[in-house]
Amino acid sequence: MAEEEKVIVNNKGLVRAEFNFWVGRYMDKFYDGLEQKKIVGNKCPKCGDVFCPPRSVCGKCNENLSLDQNWVDLPDSGTLQNFTITHFKVTDRRTRKVKDPQLIAMVQIDGSNTAIVNRLLNMPPDEIKIGMRVKVDWSEKTTGAPSDINGFVKV
Amino acid sequence: MGRQVAIVSAGFCEHSSKRSDVNMPELVNEAIRDCLKKVPSLGISDIDAFVTGNMPAFEGANMPELWSTDWMGARNKPLLRVTTGGTTGGTVAIAGYYNVTAGLPGIDTVLAIAYEQQSQGDTSVGLASTAYGEISILNTLGIDYDSLSRILSAGAAIGVAAYQATNYMSKARITEEDLARVVVHNRRMAAKNWWAHLRMPDLTIEEVLDTPYVQYPLRYGMLCPASDGACAMLFTTEEKAKDMCDIPVYVNGVASVANESAVLGYDGSGSAQTDPSAQIGAMRSSELAYSQAGISFPRKEIDYAEVYSPFPNQELMWLEKLGLFEETTAPQMYENGTTALDGDLPVNCSGGVNSTNAIGASAMERPAVAALQIMGKADNQVPKTVHTSIGHGWGGSLNLCTLMVMSDEPKRKWR
Repeated sequence: MAEEEKVIVNNKGLVRAEFNFWVGRYMDKFYDGLEQKKIVGNKCPKCGDVFCPPRSVCGKCNENLSLDQNWVDLPDSGTLQNFTITHFKVTDRRTRKVKDPQLIAMVQIDGSNTAIVNRLLNMPPDEIKIGMRVKVDWSEKTTGAPSDINGFVKV
Repeated sequence: MGRQVAIVSAGFCEHSSKRSDVNMPELVNEAIRDCLKKVPSLGISDIDAFVTGNMPAFEGANMPELWSTDWMGARNKPLLRVTTGGTTGGTVAIAGYYNVTAGLPGIDTVLAIAYEQQSQGDTSVGLASTAYGEISILNTLGIDYDSLSRILSAGAAIGVAAYQATNYMSKARITEEDLARVVVHNRRMAAKNWWAHLRMPDLTIEEVLDTPYVQYPLRYGMLCPASDGACAMLFTTEEKAKDMCDIPVYVNGVASVANESAVLGYDGSGSAQTDPSAQIGAMRSSELAYSQAGISFPRKEIDYAEVYSPFPNQELMWLEKLGLFEETTAPQMYENGTTALDGDLPVNCSGGVNSTNAIGASAMERPAVAALQIMGKADNQVPKTVHTSIGHGWGGSLNLCTLMVMSDEPKRKWR
């Protein structure tokens, strides 16, 4: 056993990492839709499942969905599939605890077979029920980004 | 002994510096579709198992194989990811071979997929995840980051290749012109492959030498690009292969060998190696793979070679270390046309890594092209009949070599 430790190397690794994530042409259409306050999905010609957000492959059928066809305009309303409530903010480490609890839910947009995750707004936690009807609360100025959807509100 | 394995197809997606029209799973899907298109009797649902890999952390996406499952056709099927830095593609191909040769019940046909979408990430940051293996060795020798950056040039791989280059150039007594000749060979070859990145049919040696040094003796025009791209290979049993294609390509030898990092003399296993161009791991990998394939005279028995050379000096070095040319004679072979498309031993007719480098895919694209050359289906097909070919990979923490020996005949059974 060494009696005394001498520090030879003290690495302070500080790496700045910048990444791009290309959404691809299918999601391009989705975000173009959001800019016009519209929700679009696409449909597998084989099993008929409607994906929202859209995607290029149906994993169930191993079917490639053409970019030119299979598009479906969807309403901005849906059904709450599940939810959770948290008193903490994951994105801010300094002020982790928040005053009002955050409500996060998965909503199945009407006419689609998938669910999207977003916030529930203006809703007392004890009123939330699985199966309830909700609709999109659009941002006033849309830019074709996820932030175009503020969250979902009760119908 | 394991089962005889055959390659029945290989496919690519279009490579370029920025494939922003697709996300990562969509990029992967393109190569798979190109691979399966060539085997009309087979659908994606006929694949029994999947092996995949890319460089860890290059795109900033952890466990991309789980995200890409549906796009690979791998939903509810055995799926394995392997990743070994620059050799990832080579290791994925070898893992595809292992999966078939193992003879597990219900697993006969295996799709191997390797890819990289470098435009998504910061390559140097990504490299930190791989290079840390190297850095941690240096740390244990008491060398910190600051001192490290004085020893190695920033930008990782070139910092190593430059040392290999100066050693090799001094041994072979060649000039930068000889290096530029290799680059011209590659980029002109790449022009005939629809999926390659740097396609330059009219490039000249003068143009290459007219670019500035990045790190002596390597000039900007000699360096590989950073590409977005994917490659897929289909492995199956000898019996099934015969129904799937006219000329199955049999995998007769594989090897994956690491030797000391060979960056500098002090770094590594203590084998007192001071010449980074000695590449004992490459020599050992060829010994192993050739002996499995029953090859005694590689120079005579191998008809086509794809070697992993992001930098031109490496192409010369690998060809010698893999036993295809005598030591220090490779540069002459580029001068006298031996390595040309219609030469005695055509090399890198795909344009090689020097023209297309989607890192995770690069080491798979070598055996993939080498297999297609045997089938007669390569985009830049050599005119002569190719019976036996090799696909080589280099990477890991700059010290790993992978090799696959392929032939139009199954492995000899005399052993």
